[in-house]
Amino acid sequence: MDTTTAPRTLVDSRGSSCPGPITDLALAYRRSKVGDVIELWATDPGVRPDVQAWAAKTGNEIVSMEDRDGKIVVVLRIAKR
Amino acid sequence: MAKRVVIVGGGSGGTILANDLDPHTYEVTVVSASASHMFQPALLYVAMRGAPAAIARDERGLLPSRVRFIQDAVAEVDLTAQTVMTAGGERLPYDEVVLATGILTDPGQIPGLAEVNAAIGDYHSTAAQAQKLWRQLDAFRGGTIALGQASPVCKCPPSPLEGVLLAEELIRRRGLRDKTRIVYFTPYPRAYPAKPMDEIVAPILAARGIEVMPFFDLDRIDPATRTLYSIEGDQIACDLPIVVPPFIGADIAYRPAEVLDASRLVVTDRQSLRVKGVEHAFAIGDGTNLPTSKAGVGAHLEAKTVAAALAGRPAVFEGRTNCPFDMGHGFGTFVVGSYTAPVVKSPPTRWKHFMKMAFARLYWLELRGWLDPVIDVYFRMTAPKPAP
Ligand SMILES: Cc1cc2nc3c(=O)[nH]c(=O)nc-3n(C[C@H](O)[C@H](O)[C@H](O)COP(=O)(O)OP(=O)(O)OC[C@H]3O[C@@H](n4cnc5c(N)ncnc54)[C@H](O)[C@@H]3O)c2cc1C
Repeated sequence: MDTTTAPRTLVDSRGSSCPGPITDLALAYRRSKVGDVIELWATDPGVRPDVQAWAAKTGNEIVSMEDRDGKIVVVLRIAKR
Repeated sequence: MAKRVVIVGGGSGGTILANDLDPHTYEVTVVSASASHMFQPALLYVAMRGAPAAIARDERGLLPSRVRFIQDAVAEVDLTAQTVMTAGGERLPYDEVVLATGILTDPGQIPGLAEVNAAIGDYHSTAAQAQKLWRQLDAFRGGTIALGQASPVCKCPPSPLEGVLLAEELIRRRGLRDKTRIVYFTPYPRAYPAKPMDEIVAPILAARGIEVMPFFDLDRIDPATRTLYSIEGDQIACDLPIVVPPFIGADIAYRPAEVLDASRLVVTDRQSLRVKGVEHAFAIGDGTNLPTSKAGVGAHLEAKTVAAALAGRPAVFEGRTNCPFDMGHGFGTFVVGSYTAPVVKSPPTRWKHFMKMAFARLYWLELRGWLDPVIDVYFRMTAPKPAP
């Protein structure tokens, strides 16, 4: 499925540093199905390496990761559950 | 006429708030499901040390006499009609409502966990469950212990690590360390989710021979073989699974229903602590969806923020956390951060451990507001610095 038409879950983790954005991502993953797209917003820069490690471990795909309007926006596609 | 404030939940947050509101300005009612108030951090020591389980007091005695206390579960909160309905059928109209209902363990979310939880116990729900866990640990004679949190949302983020460190200390003191493998599993990328603190914790875990299994998001447990399986596809077979269950918000029906998220947490504005999308409603403590640690310190500061807002003073919650962290063998630290100040490295010392234990003894005074001057100074002195 194309990431522009797939149902997209927005996970807003801005301001979260402890336990951190990965909490919200892991929760969204738990509720997701293969094909879902998760858009994660965060302000903690630690999110970059963490999401990369998470995607490598879980076998999910990082569609994009960029800085936009003072936040880090990560788009992920769930490929494995 | 005095404004009617209804506080739902008589735990840390609700009790601190009820003690802070001026009785001449407000007619305060606290409705709580339980007549007793448990000091939850003590559950760790009941479970890991066999400490006495008498860790609760009568909630009525912790409230000023002019506060009305109703012991009953709240069944429904109608935020548009401004009424609270109790399970016993009492209807309480309000001018302002404060939701302080905490979170509950919910082992049923994970296949097999309800059975394991009923057999082994835990240290995040009741004193009876913590005593059950102590009996399991006390009877343990060697094998594999797997301890970890089932879901990323957890009451008191350091508490799973505190559990594994205290369990390891017990096993070592009993001369069972050579016969015991201890595995710490976590859904996070590392043992402590915030990296700077992990730089402190990881070497301690390594030195004590505790194996860490990161990215282990518990999917199911086979109660017969005591094998834990993760969503990521890993597994741990063990003799004693000590699992911090997933949590869920209180069982209350809200109108509008959209004020709750998927974990039944109240969607709350980060700064003002007002419930999103409605008027005359605030939420504090563990039961909110605020992106901070679920800890008594947050409940305390949030209660003070709402008290200030109700009194018409400027009131902004800055997301301050200050979680005590017992690392075993008499060492401890505090995990400090805020919305704008990421958690920093805070090495363990004996003094910080002493502070944690001293704070615990003063909890009942803290609830009444009697320690406010000391606590205010402490928070100012230890305020984290915002990221540049
Ligand atoms: C093992 C452990 C260790 C901890 N260690 C620490 C620590 O060292 N430092 C720290 O700061 N925090 C610690 N905490 C966390 C701390 O106990 C909580 O964060 C704090 O109690 C949250 O306060 P609260 O008011 O939000 O919720 P709670 O104190 O849990 O109170 C919720 C209240 O709501 C009531 N309620 C629930 N449902 C309903 C309903 N339907 N109707 C009416 N009332 C209802 C309950 O009866 C209860 O009285 C620890 C917790 C645990 C379990």
